Amino acid sequence: MAENVIIDPVTRIEGHLRVECEVEDNKVTNAWVSGALYRGMETVLLDRSPEDAFYVSQRICGVCPISHSHASSQATENALGITIPQGGRLVRNLLECAQFLHSHILWFYHLTALDYVNPVNALSADIADTYALAQAAGTRVADFGAVAARLAAFVENGQFSIFSGHTGWWGVGDRKHPGYVLPPELDLIATAHYLEALEIQAVANEIVAIIAGKFSHPMTSVPGGTAFVPTVEKLDDILFRFVRVKEFIDTALIPDTLAVGAALAGLPAEANPLKYGGGVGNFISWGVFEDASLVPEDRHLPRGFARGLSLEGVSPDDVTEDVLHSWYSSATGKNPKEGETKVKFTKYDTADKYSYGKAVRCKGESTESGPLARMVVAYLAEKSGHAIGKLADEGIRTPATLIDFTLDTLDIPVTDLLSLLGRVAARNLEAAYVADLALKYVGELVEALKGGDAKFWQAAEKDSGDGVGAWEAPRGSVAHWIGVKNGKIDHYQVVAPTTWDIAPRDDEGTLGPMEQALMGAPVADAERPLELLRIAHSFDP
Amino acid sequence: MAQEAHGAIYDLLAVRGVSRRDFLKYCSYVAAMLGLSEAAAPQIAAAVEAGARGKLKPALWLNGGSCSGCTESMAQVDSPDVATVVLELLSVNYFETIMAAAGDHAEKAMDDTIEAGGYLLIYEGAVMTGEDGNTLLINGKKGKDILQKAAEKADAILAVGACAVDGGWVYAHPNPAGGIGVQSYLDTVKVATPVVNLPCCPTSPEWIVAMVVQWLLVAEDDPATFLAKTELKTRTYKDSVTGNNVTLNYPAYIVGSTIHDNCPRRGHFENGEFVTEFGSEEEAKGYCLYKMGCKGPQTYTQCPITRWNRSVSWCVNSGAPCIGCGSLNWVDNNAPFFKRLSSMQLGGGVGNVQPGTVGAIVGGVAAAGLLAHGLGMKAAGRIGDGPPMETAKAYDRKKMAKKGGDK
Amino acid sequence: MSSQAHYREAHPLVFVITHWINLICMIMLAFSGFYIHYPFFDGFMGVARGMHFVAMFVILINLVFRIIAAFFVKTAVDLGSREVDTDIKNWLPQAKNRHQFFETVKYYLFMRKEGVISAKYGSLQKIAYLATIPLTFIQAYTGFALYGPTADWGFFFGGTEWVGGEMNMRIIHYFIMWVFIVFTMIHAYLANVYNFAPSKIIFLWKETEH
Repeated sequence: MAENVIIDPVTRIEGHLRVECEVEDNKVTNAWVSGALYRGMETVLLDRSPEDAFYVSQRICGVCPISHSHASSQATENALGITIPQGGRLVRNLLECAQFLHSHILWFYHLTALDYVNPVNALSADIADTYALAQAAGTRVADFGAVAARLAAFVENGQFSIFSGHTGWWGVGDRKHPGYVLPPELDLIATAHYLEALEIQAVANEIVAIIAGKFSHPMTSVPGGTAFVPTVEKLDDILFRFVRVKEFIDTALIPDTLAVGAALAGLPAEANPLKYGGGVGNFISWGVFEDASLVPEDRHLPRGFARGLSLEGVSPDDVTEDVLHSWYSSATGKNPKEGETKVKFTKYDTADKYSYGKAVRCKGESTESGPLARMVVAYLAEKSGHAIGKLADEGIRTPATLIDFTLDTLDIPVTDLLSLLGRVAARNLEAAYVADLALKYVGELVEALKGGDAKFWQAAEKDSGDGVGAWEAPRGSVAHWIGVKNGKIDHYQVVAPTTWDIAPRDDEGTLGPMEQALMGAPVADAERPLELLRIAHSFDP
Repeated sequence: MAQEAHGAIYDLLAVRGVSRRDFLKYCSYVAAMLGLSEAAAPQIAAAVEAGARGKLKPALWLNGGSCSGCTESMAQVDSPDVATVVLELLSVNYFETIMAAAGDHAEKAMDDTIEAGGYLLIYEGAVMTGEDGNTLLINGKKGKDILQKAAEKADAILAVGACAVDGGWVYAHPNPAGGIGVQSYLDTVKVATPVVNLPCCPTSPEWIVAMVVQWLLVAEDDPATFLAKTELKTRTYKDSVTGNNVTLNYPAYIVGSTIHDNCPRRGHFENGEFVTEFGSEEEAKGYCLYKMGCKGPQTYTQCPITRWNRSVSWCVNSGAPCIGCGSLNWVDNNAPFFKRLSSMQLGGGVGNVQPGTVGAIVGGVAAAGLLAHGLGMKAAGRIGDGPPMETAKAYDRKKMAKKGGDK
Repeated sequence: MSSQAHYREAHPLVFVITHWINLICMIMLAFSGFYIHYPFFDGFMGVARGMHFVAMFVILINLVFRIIAAFFVKTAVDLGSREVDTDIKNWLPQAKNRHQFFETVKYYLFMRKEGVISAKYGSLQKIAYLATIPLTFIQAYTGFALYGPTADWGFFFGGTEWVGGEMNMRIIHYFIMWVFIVFTMIHAYLANVYNFAPSKIIFLWKETEH
């Protein structure tokens, strides 16, 4: 008999999300994902000055404001005929790197790890064994004894703070959820890294602060380039922080991913996260980390669209947004260039309208965006000769290198990438690549400063035009469309990163990527749908 | 009191490489933020330590129409770091962005806390009133109703970030989603729980910690005295959605002076040394951003003192002008951000217009009018000796004529 | 009207001096104000701000003095006359100005040929001169509301909140300056439209016979 499983609110995400599933015989047979917050950014921006758009529109998201600011500024630059100077390009790349590293570390340790890691179980870890395991896994050691003591004091106190309501899943006063399968020693290592990662993600954001004043909501990437002018001293402050973050990624994030991956990859098929959570299998990447050529296809995570494992080109004109199942009264199926946003709430009805999210489609297909999409596109591009393959000569671990290494280590086929665990791993592998890129960009900027003719900003040449800025945020593909008339914004539309993945059904009834990923997923305990949470979190919505 | 404390907090801080001295230094910093003398540092240490040792103060962190930027900001705090704050200073039983539990389990954690009462409520994001409150739904409940319910039984509320203060950018014209501030909403539903507002987009985590510590310091035994014992400044504005006048409480230390007053680039302002182009040599020299539209002169926050991200930097330091996110209705009041004065929304097809344009037009029209008039005067032959003068007022003549006619 | 002689009794020396002070202060205020609004060359901000504050205090004191003096100093009752009376009487509307407002407007709009009978000052003139007094005080008030040391005094801060914040107050301050500029343009034009005799007397204290 089918039963309805609802998770609302889905926590540990940016914003508000509802997941509703029909579950039959411990398997999801139908799924609806609903974003239930509308703030009206696109309307607020109308009639303002185009150079203000990036300051306001980045406030759509407090976790990926830098990517929004870059997409917005690119849209304005595209509309007003500005080509940003190379110095500005490098500063923006650095800023974007810092945000990616911050976001991926925070996501893995603080947002999703608790779906796999059981800190209560860590209490029964043997400290000596924990050190041995850490050494064997090649992961970072901490004062595991002190962490265990802190944990013990915390659990004994009985006030669980941000873990309130969840400790039952970990076996405090309730039956432990069967999904928590890690050995206590690995739980303890991950818990120690949970605490250390709090520090490291903040270090990554100190880089943002140096370049852009503060995180969240950066100030620097004004249309035309950057307000920030680097000096050798400032780059030094930036470099040592990148090195510190990279060290954490190499000594904790990657080995932890592999250790957790290895523990889960061996599970029986019905509980194996390599076997569910794959989703639609169409991937989009607008491309991120601008190359000196300023061509989107040349970006260091390139632009492209993949149907499964076959790559093709893509343009912002390929995007449409259906609103049949969304709380809008505006026309459906429009490209955002012509699209509009007229809100009209009716009621939550999975048979009719059930989300403020629009059903965004690429080439008519329900399409996943995010690190898995970017890494698949980059992997396919690199394999077919894209210039990023040459970065290996500079000592950079390229996407294909990282993916092949991981597939080898876990001994799994490339098709297993299209799974829950594949999506988790892709994000962390991307972090390793981005950390390498960051050091490269710092070096290039130092060289540019030595040359003495580095430029960071370029003025606009006209005051009217239409433009689009398509870029990538840590969590997915972001694009801003702007229309400027006589120095005023007369059209603004945003397709935010999360919009792709949490899309509701389109006009034809095709499920959105997260909905599709939920289909067929196992649910061991309908009261505590851990597997569904994992899938939702894997998109970092 | 704190001197002999060897409580859990010191061990925990030691694990993280924070020495006792660092910790006390931090406490003096918090003291300064609260407008207390450094002598209060031990008291603050004791409050923090008591939190770490015994029964934690329950707290709820609710997200309204937010971007989670203030949560992100909170994650950047150090000494005490965010783990200490949410695990050992407070028991934050509901915190959507980072809490472990989800769905019904998360809701139960909130319901239990509300039922027990005596908690601190931290609210991030605008209160969404558009579409009859349906612009924010959590498990079928309207976001504004959740706030009302949680606010009624809270000891005190911290409205964190511009959106919670007055609706922030969501409130900006034409405010299609009906976003308003926490105080404004609570006024309309007649909930009198004290609210302290922390400005900026996002707000500064140090300010949040300072207010939490303040709450632990002065209100632990008697929550009703929280406002009375906290040095406040008030600001009043008229909410365009509710039509009410709303009076906001801010911590005095945070909004006591303008950014301009404390700006490290102030010397360049007085010297008349300005940046006129982004990414320029003048910027590399750290000149003043006044001409780039900096809103520091009318924005009352202490950003240049607290700074951001563990005091590494702040907006102006990055070469961008202050956009005044700490002021009320900050988008409408400060846009366009690169202009000295905000544009006026004239509407009716005219749109947003700069005051300078209006001034120049008025001046130009007056000059042109006078020139035309002067030519007219010349044509009328009045230049030189002036016109022939009337011998009697027109009024008197008319009256006379009328009288004469009567007779 | 302008065909009349201009005697020193119209503008005794003390008012020639206050008028000079007004003119100089207004120029300094407008110049430094424009500079503070947008510094159009480098290196002058400290001086500009100093100038703005000093000129503001001088013009306010001058205005108060001018008002008080109006009760003690005697000025000519009409242009071209040496007969004098207390200045305030000539300053405020008089019997001679009654029923003349619309006639004056009609005159300047070329809707009548003859000049209108007036006292020392015509209806329009008196309205304009009197309006500048509260306008000056309002401008000073908006200035103090923006001036750091006084901005948070309840008297000023209340006004700031009433107009919706510092930015609006700044815009009001800016617009009132434009009102003064337009006033000055019209004032200078109308005073000298027939000939420069009025300027000779008010600036140089030089009499002109008809």
